[in-house]
Amino acid sequence: MSLAETFAPALASSNGASRRGRLVLEHISKDFPGSTVPALRDVSLTCEPGEFVVVVGPSGCGKSTLLNLVAGMLTPEEGRLTLDGQAVRGPHPERTMVFQDHGLFPWLTAAQNIAFGLKMAGVPRAKRDQRVEAALEMVHLRRSADKLVHELSGGMRQRVAIARALVMDPAVLLMDEPFAALDAQNRTLLHEQLQELWVATQKTVLFVTHSVNEAVRLGDRVVVLHAHPGRIRREFRVGLPHPRNFDSPEIAQLVRLVRREIEDEVNRVNAQTDEELWKPKTPADLDRHSVGMGGGI
Amino acid sequence: MLNIPLALGEPLHKGWPLVLEDTVGVLIPSARPANAPSRHVFTSPLIIANLVSGVRLIVGFVISIVLGGALGLAMWRWIELDRLLGPVFLGLQTLPSVCWVPLGILTFGINERGVLFVLVMGSFFAIAIALRDGLRGIPPLYQRAGLMLGARGWRLYRYVLIPASLPAFASSLRQGFSFAWRSLLGAELILAVEHKGLGFLLATGRDFSDVAKVVAVMIVMVMIGMLADRWIFAKLQAAVHRRFGLE
Ligand SMILES: Nc1ncnc2c1ncn2[C@@H]1O[C@H](COP(=O)(O)OP(=O)(O)O)[C@@H](O)[C@H]1O
Ligand SMILES: [Mg+2]
Repeated sequence: MSLAETFAPALASSNGASRRGRLVLEHISKDFPGSTVPALRDVSLTCEPGEFVVVVGPSGCGKSTLLNLVAGMLTPEEGRLTLDGQAVRGPHPERTMVFQDHGLFPWLTAAQNIAFGLKMAGVPRAKRDQRVEAALEMVHLRRSADKLVHELSGGMRQRVAIARALVMDPAVLLMDEPFAALDAQNRTLLHEQLQELWVATQKTVLFVTHSVNEAVRLGDRVVVLHAHPGRIRREFRVGLPHPRNFDSPEIAQLVRLVRREIEDEVNRVNAQTDEELWKPKTPADLDRHSVGMGGGI
Repeated sequence: MLNIPLALGEPLHKGWPLVLEDTVGVLIPSARPANAPSRHVFTSPLIIANLVSGVRLIVGFVISIVLGGALGLAMWRWIELDRLLGPVFLGLQTLPSVCWVPLGILTFGINERGVLFVLVMGSFFAIAIALRDGLRGIPPLYQRAGLMLGARGWRLYRYVLIPASLPAFASSLRQGFSFAWRSLLGAELILAVEHKGLGFLLATGRDFSDVAKVVAVMIVMVMIGMLADRWIFAKLQAAVHRRFGLE
């Protein structure tokens, strides 16, 4: 049975009527009171239905802020945010998120965690069980259905979190560095599984990460977000078909390209800051200096 | 009943070994030497006193949990209320619970309600404060996850916030119970109400200068307190911690 078939009952509306999930951000700005630079400034981004968009940038550049705005946890000071033409207002299961720290409820089992949203939506017991079953199947966790969160490995927790988000049949799936805490092998495994799921469900995915490698592996489109204030300067189209071979030279080349773009920006910012070295440094400036060296970038 | 002079000499005349032997006799009637005078008052009254105190404890503690739980929740939800009540509660917690006895008498009289008043006053602040702190300690991520999955309004409380606060609530119950037990015994010791509880038995032991009885009742008090703590509240706490993986 193919994944798409497995999921057909759980994610009924995700195929056929799938021109759902057009996410539009127009000139979004977000300020946090008390900080000198806005977290995001004039960010515009459109995710087409079924598109896998990855926003990549150093830590502190506003990636989580961006996702929280889309999730409805935060409201922008300026700009418009719409999903399928409807203004985004407050959190809603049509926009579910996979958090870096999974955010699973420790008092519930894996299956109960996945069932949670359906229960809140008033889905009857029998239907709920069926959909939870399918969701567990899709993340290959049927045998761990009754395990508690702390009995699951890091990778399994993220798979449960993905199942919990997808079972709601969201219009857009938001992912906030979901694999950052995993070891390399597990991360690659989850990259493969996520690709598989995305191909099967045709969801619009907005994924943020600080790892260029991860971004290029997964995304149809890689958007580079620069810090202080967070804004989009460039985006790259990854024209490779799915499922991808992560070790292909095309991926390696694109990774280099994106990295160079980010380094150029960091150097530009550093040069600018060096001229102003006589000025007392704000924490934001210090942050900026450390940006180029870290992790995937 | 408070004015009967205490015969402090008895244990010295009899010696502690004899007193202890007597104590065993009070606790376990069958262990009493056959020629020893029957101490009718200590056998069945001890059981009845246990039942009376037990019922009071359960009723009072449930009231305490409901009241403390509701106030803890409200204080967490409305910061203004917390600013108003928080310091008052912390202050009142420093008050030994028997200090509520006079107010209990004046408000309710020397009756069951007076005893319950002292018990509740002695324990519900602790529960309220502990629950408030427990709710404050909930990772904000749970709330966000709940909202994202459609848990709004009371459902957010019922299905996310309350369960998430369970570890803290379990500890608060354990602490609240020990407060409740101590307050109850203190109240019973002073208030001679119709049904005689353990505290009252302690008072009669004193009135009759019966050291063995006093010691025996004290042992029972300690045992009940410890058993309830070990067998109910520590187990509850351990179960919650196991569930949450908080070992
Ligand atoms: N709740 C908040 N209050 C104040 N500043 C915040 C808040 N959340 C994030 N920020 C600031 O906004 C910037 C972007 O943060 P964030 O979106 O978490 O970055 P990222 O997820 O890319 O690491 C950072 O400088 C951070 O300090
Ligand atoms: Mg982040």
